[in-house]
Amino acid sequence: MKKTLVLFAHPYFEHSTTNVRLLECYENMPNVTFRDLYEDYPDFHIQPFRERKRIVEYERIIFHFPIIWFGLPPLLKLWIDEVFDMRWISEGQLNILSGKDALIITSVGGSEGNYTKEGKYKTSAEELLTGLRVSLDINNIELKKTHIIYNADNLDEKQLDVFCEELSEILKIE
Amino acid sequence: MTENSIAMTILIFLGVAIIMVPLGKKLGLSSVIGYLLGGILIGPFCLQFTGRDAEDIMHASELGVIMLLFLVGLELEPQKLWQIRKRILGLGLSQMLLSIVGIFIVFYVAGFGLQKSFIISLCFAMSSTAIVLQTLKEKNLFRTVSGESSFSILLFQDIAVIPILALLPFLSKSQKAITQSDHEKVLLHFIPEWLQPFTVIGAVLALILLGRYIFIPFLRFVSRSGLNELLTAASLFLVIGVSELMISIGLSPALGAFIAGVMLANSEFRHELESNIDPFKGLLLAVFFVSVGATINFDIIASKPGFIFSAAFIVLAIKAVVLFGIGKYYKMNNEQSFFLAFALSQVGEFAFVLINFSASLYLIDYQANSELMAIVAITMCISPLLLIFKEKILDKRFIKEKSEENVELGIIKQRKIIIVGFGYFGSTVGRLLKANGIRSTVLDNDPDRVALLRSNGFNVYYGDATKPALLRSAGIEDAELLVICLDDPEKNKFLVDYAKENYPNIKIFVRAKNRLDAYEFLNKKVDNIYRETLGTAVDMAVDILKENGMRKYTARRMGKRFMIIDKAMTRRLAKEKAKNMITFTLRETLEREAELLALDSISFEENHWSGDDDEDK
Repeated sequence: MKKTLVLFAHPYFEHSTTNVRLLECYENMPNVTFRDLYEDYPDFHIQPFRERKRIVEYERIIFHFPIIWFGLPPLLKLWIDEVFDMRWISEGQLNILSGKDALIITSVGGSEGNYTKEGKYKTSAEELLTGLRVSLDINNIELKKTHIIYNADNLDEKQLDVFCEELSEILKIE
Repeated sequence: MTENSIAMTILIFLGVAIIMVPLGKKLGLSSVIGYLLGGILIGPFCLQFTGRDAEDIMHASELGVIMLLFLVGLELEPQKLWQIRKRILGLGLSQMLLSIVGIFIVFYVAGFGLQKSFIISLCFAMSSTAIVLQTLKEKNLFRTVSGESSFSILLFQDIAVIPILALLPFLSKSQKAITQSDHEKVLLHFIPEWLQPFTVIGAVLALILLGRYIFIPFLRFVSRSGLNELLTAASLFLVIGVSELMISIGLSPALGAFIAGVMLANSEFRHELESNIDPFKGLLLAVFFVSVGATINFDIIASKPGFIFSAAFIVLAIKAVVLFGIGKYYKMNNEQSFFLAFALSQVGEFAFVLINFSASLYLIDYQANSELMAIVAITMCISPLLLIFKEKILDKRFIKEKSEENVELGIIKQRKIIIVGFGYFGSTVGRLLKANGIRSTVLDNDPDRVALLRSNGFNVYYGDATKPALLRSAGIEDAELLVICLDDPEKNKFLVDYAKENYPNIKIFVRAKNRLDAYEFLNKKVDNIYRETLGTAVDMAVDILKENGMRKYTARRMGKRFMIIDKAMTRRLAKEKAKNMITFTLRETLEREAELLALDSISFEENHWSGDDDEDK
């Protein structure tokens, strides 16, 4: 298994049901470091140098978060702002991110039907992740998979079991 | 050696306790067995250190039982007592009635006569408050199902002693006995005959009023003097005073002390009273148990060993069966029911009182008196052994049910946080916690502030927190967080040392005056240190940066960064100086300051600032 860093960001984790279950998938996984950003930086004071030193060691980054108001949780966005460096993507510069790969695991409250051109929001969930996707792409990080869980506020135990199994399968992607 | 002075006898009692109890503990026995064995050892049938005065001492040391009940009362707030009223009545009444019936039948069938059997069954239905509560405390079982049930039964028995004492004279046909029994009840004579049955209710009401309107203001008045020994004196005065008052109106002093305790359970002096009374209670109880051991009359046992032992075992068996049945009826699991059965099956110290009283009423003769006393003492000696048997043998078979034992019943919800010092600093901590519904136990030694905070719903207790006894009664043993916010750094350091040494698992949060304090706390291996001069000063500097035109967001970030660096630096410097640190001279302080300033200019650079990874929290 690739050396993996899970960046989990959830501002209202204590009210979450789905993500509590999903996080269990990371437990006891070899080579996986799990980081809860809202626990690490409760005052939003991200320490970029420490983050950069750490990130070098990993081959894969998993971004795991709920979509809130059609965007990334603010701390995850801030994390990217502070840690990723514009100088890395200019010509001839060493990019410490280059060659890594990534997974996006995200949950949304609405149904899959709402997130279509004809649906309520007239936008797909993938489109809402455009900023993150481009940021990864430009840093030469290969996005292996985007996994979206719809209706995350109304899942029963059985459905959660299914999603957990799915996630466990996704984690096995090489 | 029967001509010993009381002081000499007490000396012998304590001496044997000091030797026997640690010995017993080494063998895995409870302290009660140690005391009893010690008593037997020094008694008239072994080393003959004590004479008849052992019995006098036993009576004197019954004050220990009274103090024990006072302390138990302190642990129980009135509302909580009200909540468990049904349990007390249900468990207690069924235990008393069934045990009385069972024992009565056996003794009656054995040919003891109606009246005698009845008296015996009354006496033997009682369990030993002293032994059981001591056991519960030692094993830390107060808040478990079985512990609470045991307590309910004991409480009911304590209350039941009163009507039984009142009833006994009527069983006696001798008019002389009745007058004699009334002899001590001085105050009762002033009350008209028809009112006498109501004295119990009257006394309880009087105590409640006393507790509310006299005791608490009285303790406040004393605490303002600021002298610790005065408060100790006042505590003793209260307990002994209440019990004497109860005796003078012919009620059980133990019940009086219990009610007084309950009335004070809500007051800010609860923990201070506990820590003051506790050592006296321990001492007197020890003497009490030793004297029980010393009064066992082996001549009587030797003359009728078969009868005495079989009677003791039959009584134990009947009570255990009754208790087990009650436990099962109240839906306890096997483990809990076994605990109840074995813990409460002995005959208690109230039996001594009742038996002596009956003898003085000529209800039983001297011979029977000694025999009954011997039976009581034997059951008291056996019951700790029964508990060991239960723990070592039965528990192995019911190990799965054991985990349920620790489920809290919600009678007393233990707050897991203790805040020491509630001045400007500590109160801010406590207020934020309270605003979020986190309850904490607060200790403070300013009586006026304590009174004010209590009236605002804070759980504050008066007392000097640098006294270990107060911390113990505040529950430091099962507290998880200790928040130390005293103004005096030396006191804070003392508390840290004390807590680190005695309760290594408790997590400590400490207030530090300045960086030098912080170095010391760091070297004492405390992780959560809060320098009162850091955060506020940084806030001020951040605002000054803003005034100089820096964007507010940037200024805030710089302030944050500075804090992180400063904390990391403090850790590093503390580590470096740990070896040769004795005290800081002014010169040293300056040197450190210089070091810090030099490091500042390097470390504030973008890619250098956070130091070691694990130090930058």
